[in-house]
Amino acid sequence: MLFTQALLAGVTNGFVYALVGLGIAVIFKGSHVINAMQGELAVVGAATAVFAAAIWGLPLWLAVVAGALTGMAIAILVELGPIRALFARRAREESFLLLTVGLGFTFSAGVLYLFGREEHLLPALGDEVYEIFGAIIREHALWVIAISAVLILALRLFYRHTHLGLSMMAASIDPDGAATTGINVRAMRTATFALGGLLAALAGLLVAPLIGVGYQMGPLLTLKGFAAAILGGLSNPLGALVGGLVIGILEAMSIVFVSSGMKDAVALTLLIVIMIFVPDGILGRAGRKGG
Amino acid sequence: MTQSVSRRALLAVPALVLALAGTGAVVEAAEPIRIGAILSTTGPGAGAGIPQRNGLQLAVKLVNEKGGINGRQVQLIMEDDGSSPDVAVTKANNLIFSQKVQAIIGPTLTASTLAVGGVADPGKIPVMAFTGLGVAMEKTRRCVFHMLPSQDLNARALLEVATKGLGAKKLGVLHDSAYGNIVMTKIREVSPDYPVEIVAVEKWEVGATDATTQAAKVKAASPDAVAVIGNSATPFRNARQIRMTMPLLSGIGTATYEYVKAMGDAADNIVFAEFLVAEDPLPGQSAFVEAFHKEYGVLPKTMEASAWDAFNAVAAGLAKVGPEAQPGALCEAIRGPFDGAMARFDFSQEDLTGLTLKSYVFSKLDKGKFVRLPFKAGS
Repeated sequence: MLFTQALLAGVTNGFVYALVGLGIAVIFKGSHVINAMQGELAVVGAATAVFAAAIWGLPLWLAVVAGALTGMAIAILVELGPIRALFARRAREESFLLLTVGLGFTFSAGVLYLFGREEHLLPALGDEVYEIFGAIIREHALWVIAISAVLILALRLFYRHTHLGLSMMAASIDPDGAATTGINVRAMRTATFALGGLLAALAGLLVAPLIGVGYQMGPLLTLKGFAAAILGGLSNPLGALVGGLVIGILEAMSIVFVSSGMKDAVALTLLIVIMIFVPDGILGRAGRKGG
Repeated sequence: MTQSVSRRALLAVPALVLALAGTGAVVEAAEPIRIGAILSTTGPGAGAGIPQRNGLQLAVKLVNEKGGINGRQVQLIMEDDGSSPDVAVTKANNLIFSQKVQAIIGPTLTASTLAVGGVADPGKIPVMAFTGLGVAMEKTRRCVFHMLPSQDLNARALLEVATKGLGAKKLGVLHDSAYGNIVMTKIREVSPDYPVEIVAVEKWEVGATDATTQAAKVKAASPDAVAVIGNSATPFRNARQIRMTMPLLSGIGTATYEYVKAMGDAADNIVFAEFLVAEDPLPGQSAFVEAFHKEYGVLPKTMEASAWDAFNAVAAGLAKVGPEAQPGALCEAIRGPFDGAMARFDFSQEDLTGLTLKSYVFSKLDKGKFVRLPFKAGS
């Protein structure tokens, strides 16, 4: 029973990490920017929805849409403003990383200022509780798993089969080549950030009923999401899922078989070992081809 | 000796000029008594620091409305240490040497208290810290008083209510990697004094978004009650999500309306070792609860009460010795019993707080509402 419960908790957490990692992977794939404010965008999205429902009295679905659009809008503004300015100056990767780390702190402070210190819960998509081999899983966790799976599949189809998706890829892989074939490289990068911001906000909205969001949560979400994305292979959205699940389950099993005090030490040591053997991420090059 | 006095006098000149500039035309009124406060109103300690600020400001306001102390108004100089001991020391130096405060209310956090005590104690400026007695060195400080119980006492209060109140024979513990870790160390130390077996201890990292697996591991050991110690609502929710139905126990830190809200449906059947149940206050607490509710429209908890008491204890001391007393006289005046809203203190005790197991009030969350329990510890 303990094993099953730990496995279910690990899988649920794995999807939480994967959802955050997904957006990081999408933005990296489309712009080669490592977005260290992904967790904060998730918090902003969820907090906006909480307050749109509680203060402005919007119906929940509309509040959720407002949250998702806010995350997307902020990401677009960041791209149009500082990211574009840095690209124009041919800034290197570390400058973008520093920029997004700084913006992450700014957004976190903004959430604290506007929404306060409390943790906020959104209503779940379903309040049923299911029992699987003596272990318990909430209906909302199943929804998170299902919706994440759909999102990942949709992203895969989007990048492989739509004109916009292919253009976004082309603009990222070979900006000059893409420009000569008539692709608006800058617009594609904006689209990439819009998609990344939307995914971040969706991640926040989906996990808020499970974990409760607070202003201080961003860096931890980013870190776990980042680890998930890297472990899976940073340029493949499916990788974030594989990476997230591996981390979530490793954490849970370290608690069961070692001790909760050693959880991070055990899980992160195993991650290092995995990265030594598969430096391109678990999905590696095979994953990248199709991605 | 003379040298240090003249240096002080030199420092006082700019402070005096500033003070005069600040008071402007109304110099004929008596100079206000200056009291400093160093609270953590931002950063990780703000969950405690903000309620302390509210309790303190109300206490000062009411004393001033009643004509101040010995006819002199009180000027509160509020500082935020951002939850950092370095900042706290800088602020303390400013309050003591530039602002010439008579006493310091705060700090909020243990590390800041240790640091501020190092500056204030030699200068014989009373410090009313919102922490329990920590390291042994603090016992040697004669002007640093503690408004909250030591972790040793907190651990005992939890074990008292677990064993005598709930009749638990097997106790599980879920604790965080910071505050909870310290309390857990004390629980291990004092648990041999109680007829209880600690059957499972699991830890979650501060800031963790999930502690379900830890809760499941504790549940697997079938405890009669589970102590959940740390500043997060997450483990309470996780425990209830996996149908842990036994009573949960917790301390002052989480006995707040903020945490109850964040617990959601999980805020039920949780027992707290705390000091104030404003819905059903003890006789000595009603006046404070009423005044607080009138001012802010919400009910106070332990942190608000402790700050109210901290200021009133200083005010009582100042009323006794007068604001012009020799350095150290105010510390001496405070060092004695004080009937507060939070509890009855005795600052002359070795732990510089005088709180005992009998001081605790135990409450239980019943579907999100605090209910005071008849249980008394230490009897």
